[in-house]
Amino acid sequence: MTTVPVRPPLVRSSDRIVAGVCAGLAEHLGWPVRMVRIGMAVASLAGGAGLVFYGWLWIMVPTADESAKRNARRPASPIAPAVSIAPSASMPPKHAAAVDPPLWTGAYSPGYPPGAVSTPPGGSAPAAGPGGYTPAAGPVPSVPYDAGAPSQPQEPSAVPSTGAWFRVRNMRYGKEILLGAGLLLVAAILIARLLGVEVPLGTLIPAAAILGGAAIAWMQLDETRRAGLVDKTKADQAGGWARLAAGLALVVAGVLVMVSGSGSWEQTWLALLASVAVLGGVALVLLPWGLKFWRDLETERAGRVRETERAEIAAHLHDSVLQTLALIQRRAANEHDVVRLARAQERELRGWLFRDPARDAGQLSDRIKAAAAEVEDGLGNAVDVVSVGDTAMTDRHEALVQASREAMLNASRHGGGPVSVYLEVSDGGAEVFVKDRGSGFELHAVPEDRMGVRESIIGRMKRHGGTAEINSSPDGTEVRLKLPAAAEDNGEGKS
Amino acid sequence: MSTPALDGTAGDRGRTVRVVIVDDHAIFRSGLKTDLDPRIEVVGEAGTVERAIEVIGRTRPEVVLLDVHLPGGLGGGGREVIAGSAALRGTTKFLALSVSDAAEDVVAVIRAGARGYVTKTISGAEITDAVYRVAGGDAVFSPRLAGFVLDAFGTAPADIADDELDKLSARELEVMRLIARGYSYKEVAKELFISIKTVETHVSAVLRKLQLSSRHELTKWAAERRLL
Repeated sequence: MTTVPVRPPLVRSSDRIVAGVCAGLAEHLGWPVRMVRIGMAVASLAGGAGLVFYGWLWIMVPTADESAKRNARRPASPIAPAVSIAPSASMPPKHAAAVDPPLWTGAYSPGYPPGAVSTPPGGSAPAAGPGGYTPAAGPVPSVPYDAGAPSQPQEPSAVPSTGAWFRVRNMRYGKEILLGAGLLLVAAILIARLLGVEVPLGTLIPAAAILGGAAIAWMQLDETRRAGLVDKTKADQAGGWARLAAGLALVVAGVLVMVSGSGSWEQTWLALLASVAVLGGVALVLLPWGLKFWRDLETERAGRVRETERAEIAAHLHDSVLQTLALIQRRAANEHDVVRLARAQERELRGWLFRDPARDAGQLSDRIKAAAAEVEDGLGNAVDVVSVGDTAMTDRHEALVQASREAMLNASRHGGGPVSVYLEVSDGGAEVFVKDRGSGFELHAVPEDRMGVRESIIGRMKRHGGTAEINSSPDGTEVRLKLPAAAEDNGEGKS
Repeated sequence: MSTPALDGTAGDRGRTVRVVIVDDHAIFRSGLKTDLDPRIEVVGEAGTVERAIEVIGRTRPEVVLLDVHLPGGLGGGGREVIAGSAALRGTTKFLALSVSDAAEDVVAVIRAGARGYVTKTISGAEITDAVYRVAGGDAVFSPRLAGFVLDAFGTAPADIADDELDKLSARELEVMRLIARGYSYKEVAKELFISIKTVETHVSAVLRKLQLSSRHELTKWAAERRLL
């Protein structure tokens, strides 16, 4: 395995006869689909090897959809680094050409050894991408990317790919490769025996058992450490215990067989009994220390959680409240600014203190409150919202929010004094009331070209199957917006 | 927050009202004292539950301006002060003051016996009005409190024959809705073509239901509704 070029990921294609394995494989290798299919059929005749291979790929290889879903969670797509990658100082420019997929598929793929199938698709790219990119590499000529690549197809890019290969193995394919190595070893031993070579199985098997058990147990430790601060669920812990037990059993059995020289069963039993007794004794002695250690660990962890919480609160207070207080001190002369700052800060802190993480954000009442906050910040006039009931947002509710916002803006601008907003959501629909204490106005006196009231409030509500009513008196103005729940059915909803 | 329900219509403005201010922040107490109308006589101050019960018992004020959150006692805050002053029930009225808008706090202190609830950000004139209204035996409902009531009792009216405590009558609902929309008592009266006295009667009836309703869901509802 000398090169790891970037190729289309190995996924089962939607262009399928049976399961899309052949088409996916062909796309991955850059071979003609027909050739792959014929090859698979021929291989099937050879003792069913093709069938087994086909079945294995069917099970192991995800479909394009699944793969896309899985990759969506990763920040870097296998393709992105191929675009963004630039040769680093340690990487000669010519090697960068190795990651230019379109050129490679044509020039190289027929030459690929079949073993390359197991190479992680695009694996080198994520590993090399972030590390390999340096801003300093910008001025590197674009020659390797277009003209350079076809001219040097025989150049094996061994230097970058080996490094990447090891990293990839550690990251994602370690288990598969270990398993493969183990199977290969078993096969080698079998073949050696067939050829008449004496293999000391009596020692090898227990030794393998010990190694395997230890590996399982150590993997567990590694994982715990890796998980670090992340909370582990019960299920994870159960799996961990099972793994620990399996590793322990393997090691103990291996040691026993090895020590007792694969002797008779009675001897083994005796030894087992003795070892269990010894282990029990040791456990009895070490238990208090273990418990104490465990308790200390728990205390420390709880302390750390508290510390984290405290730090979060401190950070929030620092970013918000302290900053605002500093601003207020500097603006103390301007009463209007002080009031506005204090109200904005109060709102922010209240939202932070009383937020309910279980409740999904983006409900109608949240949106109305957000609109009120925006108007309040913009115009410096208090807008108080009282809400009763709530509902999820729809397009029509969006219109209601926009109309309410317009009404609040008008009330703040022309009304003077605090604005009261009341939202009520019931089975019958949603209602919003925006009331100010200004001197009022006559709707008919509003000029035709004033879009605010006519278009943004009344027109918008009508288009979405609702009503808007404006009630103005010398004591103040109230805008009443009503959006019936059932209006979706009469087809005048979307516009 | 403004409390438009207080529009100077509370009767008996001429007389002096004796009040006690209970709040653990000295700055707030002195600020409130200077903000209040000169005819309101502050006869005592307290900063903890124990001290508040002692001062109220000694001075026997008409109105206690009571912070919801107070140190001391068993941790019950304003509720505990009202419970501890049970002997004065009928002569001393409690008006709850709070920076907290949490329904849990508001409903708890109203159910303990407070005659009204206002937030600390209201102006001196508004709080003076509220004091007179409470001293006159009426209830003080801010738009927010009205919103809580509507949320807790539901917006569907009770049957006419239904005189239970768990539901509001159609008229009471109308009054609550108007108050939640920011209407003052006077404006409510005008809108519904009834007298201010009738509005006050309806509000007092709602307060009574809020205090006496055996619906344990009310407390549960308040506890669940952390956010507003």
